[in-house]
Formats: sequence, structure tokens, C-alpha cells
Amino acid sequence: MANTRLNRRAFLRSTAAGAAVLGFPLPLRAQGKTFKIGAIHPQTGPLAEPGQACRLGALMAVDAVNAAGGIKSKGGLKLELLLGDTQTKPENGRVEAERVVNQGAQMLLGSFDSGSTNAMVSVAQQKRVPFLVDIAAADPITANVAKSVREGQQKVQYVYRNFPTGSGFGRNAVQYFTEIFKEAGVSPKRVVLMHANDLFGTNQMRGFKAAWEAAKPSWEIVEIIPWPEPPSDLSTEVSRAKALKPDIIAPITRPASAQLLLPEIRKQRVEIMGIVGPGSPGLYEAGQLAVLKEDLEYVLTSVPWPDFKNPKTKALATEYQRRSGGKTFDTNSGYSYDAIFVIADILERAASLDDPDAIVEAMRKTNYTGGLMQYGGPILFNEAGDNPNAIATMIQILGQKPIAVWPKAAALQKLVFPRPRA
Amino acid sequence: MDPTLVVQGLLSGVLFGGVYSLMAVGLTLIFGVMRVVNFAHGDMMVWGMYLAFMLASRAGVDPYVGFGVCAAALFLLGFAVQRALVDRILDAPHEMQILLMLGVALVLENLALVAFGPEPTRVRSALSSATIWLGPIFVDVARLVAFGVACVLTLALYLFLFRTDLGRTVRAAADNTYGARVIGTDVRRVYAVAFGVGAACVGAAGALVAPIIPFQPPTGLSLSVTSFNIVIIGGMGSLLGAFVGGLLVSVAESLGAVFLKPSLKELFSFSLLILILLARPAGLFGRRTS
Repeated sequence: MANTRLNRRAFLRSTAAGAAVLGFPLPLRAQGKTFKIGAIHPQTGPLAEPGQACRLGALMAVDAVNAAGGIKSKGGLKLELLLGDTQTKPENGRVEAERVVNQGAQMLLGSFDSGSTNAMVSVAQQKRVPFLVDIAAADPITANVAKSVREGQQKVQYVYRNFPTGSGFGRNAVQYFTEIFKEAGVSPKRVVLMHANDLFGTNQMRGFKAAWEAAKPSWEIVEIIPWPEPPSDLSTEVSRAKALKPDIIAPITRPASAQLLLPEIRKQRVEIMGIVGPGSPGLYEAGQLAVLKEDLEYVLTSVPWPDFKNPKTKALATEYQRRSGGKTFDTNSGYSYDAIFVIADILERAASLDDPDAIVEAMRKTNYTGGLMQYGGPILFNEAGDNPNAIATMIQILGQKPIAVWPKAAALQKLVFPRPRA
Repeated sequence: MDPTLVVQGLLSGVLFGGVYSLMAVGLTLIFGVMRVVNFAHGDMMVWGMYLAFMLASRAGVDPYVGFGVCAAALFLLGFAVQRALVDRILDAPHEMQILLMLGVALVLENLALVAFGPEPTRVRSALSSATIWLGPIFVDVARLVAFGVACVLTLALYLFLFRTDLGRTVRAAADNTYGARVIGTDVRRVYAVAFGVGAACVGAAGALVAPIIPFQPPTGLSLSVTSFNIVIIGGMGSLLGAFVGGLLVSVAESLGAVFLKPSLKELFSFSLLILILLARPAGLFGRRTS
């Protein structure tokens, strides 16, 4: 652990240094005016690990955009990030958003956690600041704004999202579940869905359940077991699951709850074909693998994932590993990275950067194909403001590494299911 | 309702309750002797957990063996906090105490954040995976050992307070500070010892629970809240009350998870608090007996 601690310190130092450089007042920057984007992610608190990955992805993307000449159609205008930390508290989404907007941010990016992202929406709409959600799955984030614009309560929608929604996750997951069972030649019948009961977890559960009801597959969700997040004890929840004699346990976790859930499943000797997640953090990050080790082996989860068949992605992953002190380029860093490039593309096409509505016009017409994540088509936004081509990939922890295994087009290795008996 | 599930819930609740009890016993001791509410209690416990983590990862010492070291280290911390800080506000209005201890809590939490980073972590112990099966009921060996050690430590604390001279002095200073001074007791030293012992209890509790639950610097706050819940239910200042309260709250949460939705289990334990406050405002054993 000593090595990781030093690397973590170095990583904190480099992010702090990066933030200090970017946060320096204008007089010290010889380059002149920049386009400021408020990048708000959790840096402390239970969601700090994915949040820090998001921030680093965004910083690396800004460096890349600026090194390539900035926004060329606007005279080589460079991007600048105004960094914010939600501390994993939902209300801080609004507080930090207001702070960076007061400091001159003309667009917002963030904020990983559905709760704080939702809180940022009101600032975006009230202060007319275009907001690109890089990661946050809860449907209401965009759906509520779209509804109020339709009903005439708001004039313009400022909130757009390049990430699968809870309902999108659900549909992907149900489809993948059915497909991998078929591919493995088994027919599990009983699935127990266990989830964290925060805004994200509850929304994911609803999306999965709705998709399952619509698809009517041959497997059944026999029970849904929520737990308070973060939990201090999951033994009763796992006992309840075990009593239902499940074939599959489908967990929707956060990093802390995953650290309790997986060892508990092993300790109580729950006999299952596998752990297959409909999509959540906690089941693939480097920090989680370091703590959970063999408990994560063979765990499958359906998450939005980088397209590692793209050589640019592979090069970026190596760079990311170097700059983060050994961490893997994944969902969180990846989507924040792509979001900055999408913003750069929008700014190239926007008629005027001083009018938020002109930026929104350009946003709605987005058709971007340079994304490094696994997409089902170009990045564009539908009537609700979401990207219907943002899809998930089924990844599996094999040899203590997360590897894409389904769909076949994205798979780097063959899927292992059912999991081997311990 | 599956009876196995209920029995399992009861058993898990009782075993985990041992650690809750140890945590609460430390808090009630500090309050009983000095009338100071230690808002930094949960954060001290988190430091106990991180010390256990360092012992395990650097020195390879299992937390179930090394908890004594954590207790000793936290004793020194408690002693120092009392001498340097709490002493100055003993006669000050309650608001000052609250502010000071909250400040200590913030400092401890952020020191942990700087030193260890924000990610959740847990300690690997040789006992982490061990389970004993009694038919369909399983016993988590780690929790069993934690329960056993917690009971032994609580008993040791009781013996210290009631059978040793220093313990008697502590109780004397708690009962009647002026009288204790009159007979020549160094009350300041006694207070520092009491705070140190309270912190040592919570340090040991932290080490015992480090292999069982994942923790990160912000965990301290919820642990403080749980400690208060237990101590108020058991009666502020009562050792027996803290012990019984710890078991009660843990079993209430466990049974809450069995009978209601697991995400509502804290509803059970906090409802218990409200009931107790309505029926017996001083807590179950609410008279100062330390």
C-alpha cells in the first residue's frame, strides 16, 4: 500500500498544482481571455475516487484541446476550467455552480452524482448557463427541464447530457442479461436485485425494473432489496437475498457498499451462477480492485466504457495511467474527457460565445463522431436533451482487470459465465 | 417471515452490538466525569481504524492482536486534547464546549483526509473470511471476536473504575469536584486520564471494527451520531446503560432490516430513541453511576 500512498500524494499534488495554475487570476496569464468552463465533481467524500477521475479526464482534455490550437473558429480561444468540489453532498452542486458562474464560467460540466447534478440544473436554468452533464444517470435531470420547456414554464433548455440515462441503462442491461445467458447456454430464472437507495441507485433500479417489465424475458426479478447508503452492515440484506435462492444477484452499488456486499456474499456462501450488475460504480475501479481483490473476480457489470479498440483511446489510457499514478482510464475519466471535446466542437460551431442561447443552438445541432467511448452512433441530443447513442458495455473482471466482454463487437475477451465454483 | 432470518438478524445484531457498546462506553465516561460532550468521538474512532490499517499494512499486525496499540495511541491523543484544549473550557458555557469539540472533529477528519485520501478502505484480517456454521445460521467469526474483546474491555473498564484507586478518584471527581479538590485530588490530571481512557475505548472499538466495515474520513460523523443515540438511550454517564444501549440499538437496526425494508433500518433505532425519550427522558439507566 506504501507505493499507492505516495502515488496518491503525487496525484493530489499534481491536481492541486493544476488547479492552482488554472485558478490563477487573469493578470498573471499572458495568453489573455479564455473560455471558462465550471467543472464540478466530488473530490472528497464517499464518491471522491470516481470524481477525481472525472476531473483529471477533463483537465487532460482541456490540455489536448488547447495544445491543438484551442477553438480555431474563435481565433484560437483557449479553454479554462474553474474547478469545483461537491464533497459528495447533493446541495453543494448548487453552491459550487453558483460560485464558478460568479467567477465567470460560461458553461457548466459535472457532476457525476445524480443528486448534485440535479441541484446544478436550477443554476443552469436560472442563470442561463449551458450545462453539459458528463456523468449522471437519473432521468429527471434532463426530463424535468424538457417538460417545463414543453409546458411553457421555461423558455430554453440549457441542460444536456452525454451519458446513458437510468432508463437507457435499464434497457441495455436487460438486453445484455438475456443475450449473455443465451451465449453461455444457461437459463437462470431467479434474479435478486439489490441496490443503494440514493437518487442514483433508486433511479437505476426503476430503469432496470421498467425495462424488464417491458421486455418480459425468461428470467424473473424475484425481489428488490434496498440498503441505506453508505451502509455499515449488509449481513441481513444478504441473508434475505440468500433465503430467496437466487440464480443471479444483480447489485447496484457505490464504492463503499460494494466493499461490504461482495465479501458478505462470499462469507454467507450464497450459491449463485454469477453477480451481474445492471450498471453502477464500485465494481471495477482500481481502488475497489485493490481492496476487494478476488471478491471482484468474474463480476459482470453493464457500464458505459471506453472503446479500447480505438488506438487513440489506448494511447490516452497510457497517458492517463502515467498522470494519475497508476489508475485505469475508465467510464468516469473517459466521459469527462469526451465531454470537453464535445464542448470544444459546440464552441467551434456557435454563432457567438457571448450569447448562451447561441451556444444552446449549436449544442442542439451536435453530431460529433470523435468520441473515445463506446457509442452506438454519433453524439447527438434528442428532445429530452439526452444522447440516445450513449450505451453501456458489459465488462467483466478477469485476472483482476476490467475487460469488455459483450456485445461481441466491443469484446476484447471471451465472457466467463456461470462463474467457476470456488 | 422466515424464522431463520429472524434468528440470524438477532445474532448479527447482538454481535455487532458489542462494538457499538464499547464505542458508547467511551463517550459516556467522558460525559459522566467532565460533563463534556465529545463531538469528536466518531472521528477519533476513525483514526483508530486508520491506525489499525497502518499496523496491518505496514507491520503485518492483525487488528485483533494490535487493538491494544490503537487504544494506547488514542489514549495519548485523548489525554493531550483534554490537557491542551478541553481544560480551558470546562467552566465555559455549553456552546463553547460544542464549538471546541466540533472543531477538533473537523481537524481530525481533515487530517485523515490529507494523510490517507478519500477512498473507502478496509483492513484485511486473517479472520475476515472465517465463518462458523450452526445449521442454517452462520456466525461471522470476526464479529464474534470483536464482541468478545469488547465485552472484556468493558469489564476491564468497570474494574478500573470500581476496584482501583485511580478509578475511585475518577469517580470521586465526577461526583463532587469541589470535594475531590478539598481532599487533595489533582482534578486536572484525573480529567485527562478519564478523557484518555474514553478515547482509548473508542480507539480499540475502531481497530476491532476496521476489518468489518469499509471506512473513510467522513465516516466519523455517522459514528458520532450513533454513539450519541446509544448513550442517550442508555443514560448519559451510565456505563451499564451504554453497554445495554449499544446492544439494543444494534439489535433494533438488525431486526429493522429483517422486518421492514433494509433501507429503513435506521428508522427502527431512531424511533427507539424517541420512545425512550418520551417514556424515560434520563435514559434506561439514567443516573450517573460512573
